[in-house]
Amino acid sequence: MKKILIVLAVLVGIVVLFGIWLAGGYNRLVGLSQTVDKQWAQVQTVYQRRADLIPNLVNTVSGSANFEKSTLTEVTNARASVGQLKIDPTAAPTDPQQLQQFQAAQNQLSGALSRLLVVVERYPELKSSQNFMNLQAQLEGTENRIAVERRNFNEAVQAYNTTTKRFPTVLYAGMFGFSPKPYFQSEAGAEKAPTVQFDFGNNPNAPKPPVEK
Amino acid sequence: MTILRSILITAAILLLGIRAFAAEVIPPAPNGYFNDNAGAVSATTARDLNAKLQQFERDTSNQVLVVIYPKMQSDSSIEDYTQRVAQKWRGGQPKLNNGAVLFVFVQDRAMFLQVGYGLEGALPDATSKNIIDTQIIPQIRANDWDGAMRSGVDSVIAATRGEYKGTGRTVGDGDLKTPNSSPTAGICAFVGIMIIVIIFSSLNRSRGYGYGGMGPVIVGGLLASRGRSSGWGGGGSFGGGGGGGGFGGGGGFSGGGGSFGGGGAGGKW
Repeated sequence: MKKILIVLAVLVGIVVLFGIWLAGGYNRLVGLSQTVDKQWAQVQTVYQRRADLIPNLVNTVSGSANFEKSTLTEVTNARASVGQLKIDPTAAPTDPQQLQQFQAAQNQLSGALSRLLVVVERYPELKSSQNFMNLQAQLEGTENRIAVERRNFNEAVQAYNTTTKRFPTVLYAGMFGFSPKPYFQSEAGAEKAPTVQFDFGNNPNAPKPPVEK
Repeated sequence: MTILRSILITAAILLLGIRAFAAEVIPPAPNGYFNDNAGAVSATTARDLNAKLQQFERDTSNQVLVVIYPKMQSDSSIEDYTQRVAQKWRGGQPKLNNGAVLFVFVQDRAMFLQVGYGLEGALPDATSKNIIDTQIIPQIRANDWDGAMRSGVDSVIAATRGEYKGTGRTVGDGDLKTPNSSPTAGICAFVGIMIIVIIFSSLNRSRGYGYGGMGPVIVGGLLASRGRSSGWGGGGSFGGGGGGGGFGGGGGFSGGGGSFGGGGAGGKW
């Protein structure tokens, strides 16, 4: 009788241990997932910050005499398409497609902005105005923040994904709905050195080098 | 045991080897507030500014650092590299993130002021840029490094003074950090106690005695282990930063645990 009780007690102990172990793993996953969401909110904040700078920038630049309207329209349109994205700022996307869409829209805006800054180089008066210089400092700072928060986001996602895929968490992560989360991809072409093509007119059908933005 | 040790040593050597080959060097957190590693300013200026920045932390809890290096040891861009270094040093208080680090690379003729999250309001990018462009760079161009650093430090102090209140002590002054015992040890102890209690209580029950009296012990044990493990909140990732509290004997700089988000501005001369 006593022996059975001891065996029973040990069994209960094992079950309790298992429960604690499972709870620990679950809680860790919850914590990591929360970190990813928090980082996602940070990413949203810095992108929003950039979007908020644009009306001011457009105003400042368009005030300058005969500034090229096409570059400005491009920026405004890109900002509008970013604004139309419906994406939950409080929870990191679980669908890679959704993140890709978000990133594509933001990249379009980045491209339009950098083209605008190149065009501004042709307007020395505008370029040296205090207002524009302040805006430029803010824009640069915002781009730096975007880079930092994206990196932090990817690190948080990596920590989370690694845990969900690691044994033994992998056994129950899916059961509790902890699916892997997508990363920000590095800019297309950023990891490759640009290809230089020497075309001395020998081959008229040679592909034209891509137009740099 | 010896096998384990040799494996560890090999791993350490390999790691060191990889670090030596990498082009990038992330320097350890400095001991002082004003650190001239390139011999750019006079000893008096360096001492004055160091004392000023230390007093500034006592007054406001803001941790403002200046580091001057001969050359940037990275292939990355200055804004990216300095952000990572500043984040590693963790200037600023844990919750406030009120740190700022001015990096100067003499041979690169470049500088960058990294501003922690908590000081971005007091020191926005445009202000940082303005300080660098109007207070620092003109005097460097005129070869007046002492003047450049003095007016740069004064401007940063002036911009950030009203933001937070200090405690009269620096992180380096106070023995705020206690070694962080691992929480798993506490859990193991708890589980062990649980099992023993279960076994004992079942034994007791079978003997016909009442059980009880063990409950408070479990709770007490759990609380004790929790209390010990939560020594220093905030900066979980600080551990790798090169010995928390080890530097700063005599009240030098010691990173509080602040974070940097890439705010600030840079300039070249």
